[in-house]
Amino acid sequence: MIEIRGLSKSFVGQDGGRVQALSDVDLDVAENEFLTVLGPSGCGKTTLLKAVAGLVPVDSGEIVVDGTKVRGPGPDRAMVFQNFALLPWATVLDNVAFGLELRGVGRAERQERARALIAMVGLAGFETKRPAELSGGMQQRVGIARALAVQPRVLLMDEPFGAVDEQTRRLLQEELLSIWEESRLTVVFITHSMEEAVLLGDRVVLMSARPGQIAEIVPVPLERPRARSLERSGKYAEITAYLWDRLRDMHEEHRAAR
Amino acid sequence: MRARVPAAAVSLATGAVAWELIGRLAGVSFFPPLSTVAVRLAEMAAAGEILQSVADSLVNLLIGFTISLVAGLLVGVAMGRYRKVEAALGVYVYALLTAPALVFAPIFFSLLGDGRGSIIAVVVMYATFVIIINTASAIQSVPAHLVEMARSYGASERQVLLRVLLPAATPMIMAGVRLGVGRAVTGMINGEMFIAVVGFGHIVTEAGGRFDSASVLAVLLVIIAVALGAVWLVQAVDRRLTGWVPQTSRGSQ
Ligand SMILES: Nc1ncnc2c1ncn2[C@@H]1O[C@H](COP(=O)(O)OP(=O)(O)O)[C@@H](O)[C@H]1O
Ligand SMILES: [Mg+2]
Repeated sequence: MIEIRGLSKSFVGQDGGRVQALSDVDLDVAENEFLTVLGPSGCGKTTLLKAVAGLVPVDSGEIVVDGTKVRGPGPDRAMVFQNFALLPWATVLDNVAFGLELRGVGRAERQERARALIAMVGLAGFETKRPAELSGGMQQRVGIARALAVQPRVLLMDEPFGAVDEQTRRLLQEELLSIWEESRLTVVFITHSMEEAVLLGDRVVLMSARPGQIAEIVPVPLERPRARSLERSGKYAEITAYLWDRLRDMHEEHRAAR
Repeated sequence: MRARVPAAAVSLATGAVAWELIGRLAGVSFFPPLSTVAVRLAEMAAAGEILQSVADSLVNLLIGFTISLVAGLLVGVAMGRYRKVEAALGVYVYALLTAPALVFAPIFFSLLGDGRGSIIAVVVMYATFVIIINTASAIQSVPAHLVEMARSYGASERQVLLRVLLPAATPMIMAGVRLGVGRAVTGMINGEMFIAVVGFGHIVTEAGGRFDSASVLAVLLVIIAVALGAVWLVQAVDRRLTGWVPQTSRGSQ
């Protein structure tokens, strides 16, 4: 579904030097796969996701989604943002319909689709509320509904539950899993939580700190549909422990290198 | 919010009483008490002098401010969004913001004559630049992630401007518009005083020449009323446009 070949991207840093955010990244994501991406902060996770979204021009390499080379944002991909990125002046209904509105879908049709998705993420009755009147978890539900409303093939999620409290996060994780299981979506999901990466992912991509490379891809051979009870299984504990070992090594290498 | 109207009324009443008392106690001809001024105002209104002046001045204000608003928004948005436009125009805008706008009056006077055009030009000089600068920084301070979100859904530049940047920037733009209205009123008065053949400026200059303080102050009262009315109007528009701003982040606005 997604093929990434030799992707490199550097930025001009604050000191004028170049910061290598991604260097020669290769990655394949299968159709209908739930891929989680884990790594120390600053290792280029967001840059990778934005490159797939077509928001960031890359220096070299290419990204092919469903057979088409990525040259910019497209209707086959939708992004969910860590800070929700909701329009503060617009109602829940208008926020969810925003992607459709930008794509020229007529008012009646986009509102109908938006209402269905609002119900799906459990926000029925909140259509006329503004984001400031909602909790963080509810705001991200709006963000997810907005992304699903444009009926993408690929859902790109950048630490979507990083800014919500622990209990809400657990609920959102379960809801996302059931949405994904019913749809035929391919999901790329960035997280800084090992538990979240294992609970959700078919595979966990472990990225290493500078200069933005994939250190390892860890398969998660846990049965689906996944339930919370999984967290008590030996396999789950084993994978999370392994991921933590690897991350700790990276942090130590990083410290030694400085 | 709720306490504002009574507070303003109390403040006005206090000012009126103070004016009356000081005017009576001082007993000097250049500072008549409020009651004398009010009587004079009624006389002028009855004679029809004031009405025509008010109409003249308001039309100048309206035309001048409309030009300022349109130019201020267009240039401000362009400067806020496009770095090249800011690099090209920024220095001029800041120079003209700080330059005393009245120094341009003689130029307008010789270019446009002693009519309405000159006064409108002065109003525009006074009001435009503060609107430009506020609009530009309003656009620049729109969170980048909102623009990025819109672009991720395929927004065109036009959609980014109209659907994201302008609505997000409206609260700060309106702050500039409020300042602009105040400056437009100042520009109108100063322009009329300088050119002094029409409107309030004409009456003030004439009455001033006759040391007729009551007339000057009567006109001043009307000008204050016009200014307050204009600011009130802008605030009403502001409230309509920015009702979505959460009360907590409004602070002491
Ligand atoms: N727009 C940008 N300008 C300059 N440097 C950037 C920009 N975006 C990201 N970077 C740098 O690239 C590196 C990777 O960033 P990012 O992809 O955000 O990492 P992560 O999401 O894994 O925390 C960091 O060092 C960051 O400072
Ligand atoms: Mg990030």
